Amino acid sequence: MSTQFMMLFRGTHWSKGLSPQEIQNALNRWNEWMAGLVREGKIKSAQPLVARGKIVSGKKKRIISDGPFAESKEAIAGYFLLEVKDLDEAVEIAKEVPTIEYGVSVEVRPVAPLIPENLEEFEILKHKA
Amino acid sequence: MDPLSNEVSSIAENLFRHESGRLISILTRIFGTDRLHLAEDVVQESLIRALQSWPYYGIPQNPVAWITQTAKNLAIDLIRREKRFRDRQPEIVRMIEESVNPLQTTVSEMHDERLRLIFVCCHPAIPQEAQIALALKTLCGFNAIEIAKAFLTTEAAINKRLVRARQSIRRLKIQFEIPQGAELAERLDAVLQTLYLLFNEGYKVSAGDNLIREELCYEAIRLTSMLAEHPAGNGPETYALLALMLLNAARLSSRVDDTGNLLRLQEQDRSTWNQIMIARGILCLSQSAAGEGLTTYHLQAAIAAVHCAAADYESTNWKQILNLYDQLVRLDDSPIVALNRAVAVAEVNGPAAGIKAVETIAKSAKLNSYYLFYAILGEFESQLGNFANAANHLRKAHRLTNVKSERMLLAKKLKEIDSNR
Repeated sequence: MSTQFMMLFRGTHWSKGLSPQEIQNALNRWNEWMAGLVREGKIKSAQPLVARGKIVSGKKKRIISDGPFAESKEAIAGYFLLEVKDLDEAVEIAKEVPTIEYGVSVEVRPVAPLIPENLEEFEILKHKA
Repeated sequence: MDPLSNEVSSIAENLFRHESGRLISILTRIFGTDRLHLAEDVVQESLIRALQSWPYYGIPQNPVAWITQTAKNLAIDLIRREKRFRDRQPEIVRMIEESVNPLQTTVSEMHDERLRLIFVCCHPAIPQEAQIALALKTLCGFNAIEIAKAFLTTEAAINKRLVRARQSIRRLKIQFEIPQGAELAERLDAVLQTLYLLFNEGYKVSAGDNLIREELCYEAIRLTSMLAEHPAGNGPETYALLALMLLNAARLSSRVDDTGNLLRLQEQDRSTWNQIMIARGILCLSQSAAGEGLTTYHLQAAIAAVHCAAADYESTNWKQILNLYDQLVRLDDSPIVALNRAVAVAEVNGPAAGIKAVETIAKSAKLNSYYLFYAILGEFESQLGNFANAANHLRKAHRLTNVKSERMLLAKKLKEIDSNR
């Protein structure tokens, strides 16, 4: 049985300060790594996000603000939707992300099923323990 | 660009570096040389966009077209936003639409633009070190950090040079054009001189990042080839310079062993010399013989060619090399050339004659702080069996250089002498 996981990439300007050669090497490594995942059928989809947009909030009155997207270590640069066995496998994949060494961080989150099938993410477990 | 396809496209070697130079030349023609920085920024931004998008969509089938289209879009966007372009806006947008198209630009148009940018960057009124930095930045796509590494200086210092270079271009109103008539010859001289220095920076053994230094050599060859392929730059002198670069660069990789130790000419593995480059170099050398002129480039290329032609160190035609050096010292009175000539003298007439030749130079030039002066004397003395003198000279040489590989080579020689005594 396989499950879906979202890999969120944070850090939009990883290439800053790298030489064209280093960038080229990083991209080539990324491409090889990604092609391997595609071949194994582990990537469902992947998309970058533009480093620009709006944040909408406010309970009563809608407040629209510019998000801190550009040039931020926190900003989400893009995502991969993985289809793999379990969280461990997804984390193993995330550990291989070639741009991590340039300061990109990767958040791995299981996609929740329509109807919950297990208890592990629920507070109930804490009461038992 | 289907992320789920199994096709892995890879990026052509030096894609970012070379595309950056190509696009900057095209955009500089459109924006004007006084806004060189703007062209650099647009290109830089389009490369950043590639890096934001390709990791998710995969590398496009035609990366060059992708980057070009992006640069074009960004340039048009910038023109529409910038107030100072307002009066010329429709005209500039049309120029971009027409010219920034890799499919429509002919190869010769492209070379034209690159050449214009070479002439701008290597304008003799720009300070020489700023010329080289600017050429590396705009034509070769190096960033300030890399240039700083190659020249053993700081990023800030390089940025200062770049700013100075751009200011000179604005102040002197240097046009984005290939000079003509009498001006062409003069400007071409300056271009060749800068390319020669660029090559030498990469070639000379000194501290700094070795890989980047090799890249400098290859970039100098690339730019000089461009010059040689263009009617405005394809004179004998250009071919002589190109020959000199190729025939020396062909032997680059054999100069050090696996652990980075310098190897003497007699120790180098000649089978690793790049025969394709040597063949190209010899061809260029024959093309350089077209005119009457005999330049220092011709002679230096010819000397390199003699080395390349020898199957091993013993069969080197030193008589011919000495003959070429005799001509070279007449054109170039630098003590370094004379020192190199002394090596040829020693090979032809024996080490005693070599020492005499060195002593003659020493009378007229200040060489006593130059390590190679003592290194060469030490070599000659040791060939004569005067090991005590030789050791003295070599120790002096050792004190005078900070370059690790040179120090190691001298230390090795000293050890050899000790075992002979």
